[in-house]
Amino acid sequence: MASYSILTNNPLVADKLKGKKTVEYVPVSYEEILKMARDRVYQGYKLLSHPLSGSVKPKETPYKSIMVSTRKEEVEAQSVRIIEEAVMACGKFTDRRDSYGPDVRKDFQMIDWTLLESAFASADAW
Amino acid sequence: MRLEMGHIYIKEIQFADTCKIEDGTLYVSAEELKKVALEDEKIKSVSFDIARPGESVRITPVKDVIEPRVKVEGKGGVFPGVISKVDTVGSGKTYALKGMAVVTAGRIVGFQEGIIDMTGPGADYTPFSKTLNLVMVCEPIDGIEPHDYERAVRFAGFRVATYIGELARDLTPDETKVYETCTIKEGLEKYPDLPRVAYVQMLQSQGLLHDTYVYGVDAKRIVPTILSPTEIMDGAIVSGNCVSACDKNPTYVHQNNPVVHDLFEEHGKTINFVCQIITNENVYLADKQRSSDWTAKLCKMLDLDGVIVSQEGFGNPDTDLIMNCKKIEAEGVKTVIITDEYAGRDGKSQSLADADAAADAVVTGGNANEVIILPKLDKVIGTLDYVTKIAGASEETLREDGSLEVELQVITGATNETGFGKLSAR
Repeated sequence: MASYSILTNNPLVADKLKGKKTVEYVPVSYEEILKMARDRVYQGYKLLSHPLSGSVKPKETPYKSIMVSTRKEEVEAQSVRIIEEAVMACGKFTDRRDSYGPDVRKDFQMIDWTLLESAFASADAW
Repeated sequence: MRLEMGHIYIKEIQFADTCKIEDGTLYVSAEELKKVALEDEKIKSVSFDIARPGESVRITPVKDVIEPRVKVEGKGGVFPGVISKVDTVGSGKTYALKGMAVVTAGRIVGFQEGIIDMTGPGADYTPFSKTLNLVMVCEPIDGIEPHDYERAVRFAGFRVATYIGELARDLTPDETKVYETCTIKEGLEKYPDLPRVAYVQMLQSQGLLHDTYVYGVDAKRIVPTILSPTEIMDGAIVSGNCVSACDKNPTYVHQNNPVVHDLFEEHGKTINFVCQIITNENVYLADKQRSSDWTAKLCKMLDLDGVIVSQEGFGNPDTDLIMNCKKIEAEGVKTVIITDEYAGRDGKSQSLADADAAADAVVTGGNANEVIILPKLDKVIGTLDYVTKIAGASEETLREDGSLEVELQVITGATNETGFGKLSAR
């Protein structure tokens, strides 16, 4: 298993990867997931996938999955810059997670899953 | 490579018993086209409609916009790797039906997707309010997965566009334009004093409804490479993305990319237009590093003096854009980047999710967060069922008088990052 962990609030990701990859499923907001990733970055873990993946805007989709390294190293400048910009960008959008019915939530989960899944081919290559 | 583009102007589209083009009118038989669309068993039904500039019509949710073309001479056929075999295209002779488009629409997921208004304030923001649109709304079979539905609609659009393009095969074009690129050596000999300029095009490549295909290959799986810009005129790049439609490139934009056309205009006069470099916008950060390293490497190996870099999307691609810009500049090659902005509804927030001092020549397609009121129109092709769930919309979007309060990001092509629009600022 590659040395990464997935921070997610998407139950579909947790379900699909159960027993296959390291998933930290926490049912919090999109913004909280970004902040969790930010904490990891400052602890010396690297950001491996882009926190603003997808064209569904921050908080317009309730779901976010981010890949971080599991090996603690020096704090990495690139990871800091990207996650800080992402948290800042998130502030521009309105939280709409309570305004969707179950079908739409399911679709948002599906999109978040495909965005994350697209990273596996490269992430698992080494 | 030398490509002769024959333009056939379509001035009207009408339904008829058989499909044909006569005196600038495209006659379409819905029955004939249905057969073409329904070749894929995953599509249960399809309906066709016509939307003309100025009509009180709203098309939504838009998946793709395609210009019908036919290859009449030279290697390969249109949409290589998708409709035609994978032969390298971009030479010979191709005819395009100008002034019209095939627009695909359909619910794939319960949110997002684009709006094309044919009249009113929204029409100013979408270039596709100026084309005669043959709209096809595809319904899938029951229980279909979103991936399969998306693919089925995408391919149905290309099949129908190709079928219509074929109608022009024996016609005489109203106008012909020739596009020709040199080899590296020829270019150096022919234009020794002109700056060597290339176009770096970044392609959406992130997942379902966020993908682009090059000769049928998912752009997530490419490493940066070189194209002759004439290849795209034969449909070498096609769209599989439409989420947050303001800054996504429908296939029509790839076929008619204004950066390519403007660089050709200056080729041999003020610049030597060397080639097009394509790269991707993957989710995985190491992919971004590899792709931006390679893009900068290609710019250096080609001895370029300058490049124009166009982005597709916001957020994740901002990182690719800045990586490309920084690394290309570090190789001593000047850059101009084209992007758009998410600067908040008041326009006061930081526009991009990344920045660097090297990005000192920037062209913007506008602020996608800007709010616009779209009045109620007489007819909707597609459905407004999802309009409260699309990007930049909200539960308050659909107002009591039937008008929509939305951000520009819902409008197909409103802040396009290749400059494919009708608005500008002074």
